[in-house]
Amino acid sequence: MERTVTVVPEDGLHARPAAKFVETANEYEADVRVAPTDGDPVDAASMLAVTSLGVGSGDDVTIVAEGEDAAAALDALEKVLSTPESEA
Amino acid sequence: MSTNENATQTYDGTGVTPLAGVGTAVWYEPGSGTELEEPPDPTEVDPATERDRFDEARDRAREELEREREQTADRVGEDEAAVFDAHKQFLDDPQITDGVEDAIDGGLPAEHAVRRAFEGPIEQFAGMDGRMAERADDLRDVRDRLIRVLTGGDRVDLAALPSGSVLLAERLTPSDTAQLDPDRVAGFATAEGGRTSHAAIFARSLGIPAVVGVGSELTAIEGDADVLVEGEDGTVIVDPTPDQRERAAVERDVEIRDESVRTADGEAVEVAANVGTLAELEGAVRQGADGIGLFRTEFLFLDREGPPDEEEQLEVYAEALDAFPEGRVVVRTLDVGGDKPIPYLEQPDAENPFLGERGVRRSLGPDADLFEAQLRALLRAAADGDGRLSVMFPMVATVPELETALGTVESVATDLESEGLEYAMPELGVMIETPSAVFLASELAERVDFLSIGTNDLTQYVMAASREDDRVAELHDPLEPAVLRAIARTVEAGHAGDAWVGMCGEMAGDPDLTELLVGFGLDELSMSAVTIPAVKATITETETTDAEELASRATEASTKDAVQNHINRD
Repeated sequence: MERTVTVVPEDGLHARPAAKFVETANEYEADVRVAPTDGDPVDAASMLAVTSLGVGSGDDVTIVAEGEDAAAALDALEKVLSTPESEA
Repeated sequence: MSTNENATQTYDGTGVTPLAGVGTAVWYEPGSGTELEEPPDPTEVDPATERDRFDEARDRAREELEREREQTADRVGEDEAAVFDAHKQFLDDPQITDGVEDAIDGGLPAEHAVRRAFEGPIEQFAGMDGRMAERADDLRDVRDRLIRVLTGGDRVDLAALPSGSVLLAERLTPSDTAQLDPDRVAGFATAEGGRTSHAAIFARSLGIPAVVGVGSELTAIEGDADVLVEGEDGTVIVDPTPDQRERAAVERDVEIRDESVRTADGEAVEVAANVGTLAELEGAVRQGADGIGLFRTEFLFLDREGPPDEEEQLEVYAEALDAFPEGRVVVRTLDVGGDKPIPYLEQPDAENPFLGERGVRRSLGPDADLFEAQLRALLRAAADGDGRLSVMFPMVATVPELETALGTVESVATDLESEGLEYAMPELGVMIETPSAVFLASELAERVDFLSIGTNDLTQYVMAASREDDRVAELHDPLEPAVLRAIARTVEAGHAGDAWVGMCGEMAGDPDLTELLVGFGLDELSMSAVTIPAVKATITETETTDAEELASRATEASTKDAVQNHINRD
């Protein structure tokens, strides 16, 4: 399954939001990959891969999840990406 | 500072501790233990064995990181220790581990596979700017750690450097710096790094003379050379003159006095520490502080997702009080705005943040809830901890602001009373850092127990010269007669209103100015812990009458140069 989400945190997918995103991806029994609209998907469980995408606030990303928890993982990750950092 | 005095050679960098140290240069080359020979023929490599070696190395590296994290949290602070968490995250990053395993399957031994797997990410991050480029440094550290563990390479044991060494390095990682023993290392200098680098922050916490950011010229200094590190001016001097050497030695060898001190003629002056993290508490006790004159509470609120709750704050304040069972701990309520962004607080871009909503202005406005929670924690800590608690409000500019703040303290006390929670009323005070507070010092003093002069901001506001702008650095000097008159006026008004008066800016920690400040009649001086021994020593040698004469001559002077002349003459 996949979903496209607009990134809300001011820092984009860097620093704390990225760490939170990776941490969340690791919590689920699912293989999760994330891609910017014009780029190749990378492993959502890798801090290195996620931060190196250079995704900024306001950009769209596509999250693809496969496995037992795929739906729950997508929900949780969408929440991380759509929560402003001040409320995270 | 002169550059070529006889045979001496001076290198300029950024000084990060107001301390000098002299010793023998030792070059630290951390990369040297991690050089690899050509990999063997792939047919000689057993991938299963290499995978096991890699897994074991990762376990060892993780243990090391955990140990260093703990050590750093103890000696320096929780914030600084967090960098080791990031390193652990890289150690387990699937992009790295997959890369290593692929390389092993391709016939490389584990150490070569590690080198290969880190190459791409390091290059990628190194090409980015700012924070991302720092990540490349973190990755290099993690890579070198793994290779060292895999090759059985010895780590240079920085904790065991010969006594009297001056450490020279291209750069120092957090784990390098955390190992340094302030009793053995006379100082360090690095080619890279700035005032806010890990190495600089650690040096201040550990009380080590240090100069960073000297640039590649530093490599011209040979190992075994005699080197003086002057952390105040930011200079590194090779073959210092006997004079320079002696000055450094005197500064370094000041006896630590655990007891409070008096002037030569018996006037008591309290000497306290400025503390900005819990880790600095220990340094303050070690350097013989009588108490804490400025406990900055911002560290509790920075680098986290939301504000600390009342219980968490209570614990921290009680810990500070327990560190000084006989002393006084002056806690400043949250001072944000200006240069200290906190992600979860709404801080709209201000045209001029230093003249905007900061300090008590926020506490009485958008951060009223935080202010109340902080006061609740403080009043409860006052009943809980050993030492005497004082609470002061930053950036007060008007009497109604102070009255509102005092009213909030009253209402918090009433709430605690009705909830049946144990609390005590602390001493209350105002930080004098705006010119308006100087002019209103009498009215403010009548309403509180103490005033504390924050000379860094006061100088900035009296001189209308930003601390951040090098072009006006000349104006940002507390020895400007206008600033001295503001200090004199505050002390006089405070005493007339039965308030004690302290000082908690950088000026208070300069032993060359101690006599002048004693002459102004300040009851307390609060400073970085490292300068406490020198200031205490100076106080014991000061005669109050001489000091008062100096203060009155300095106050009457019409230029900074004239003030400086008076100070030098005495």
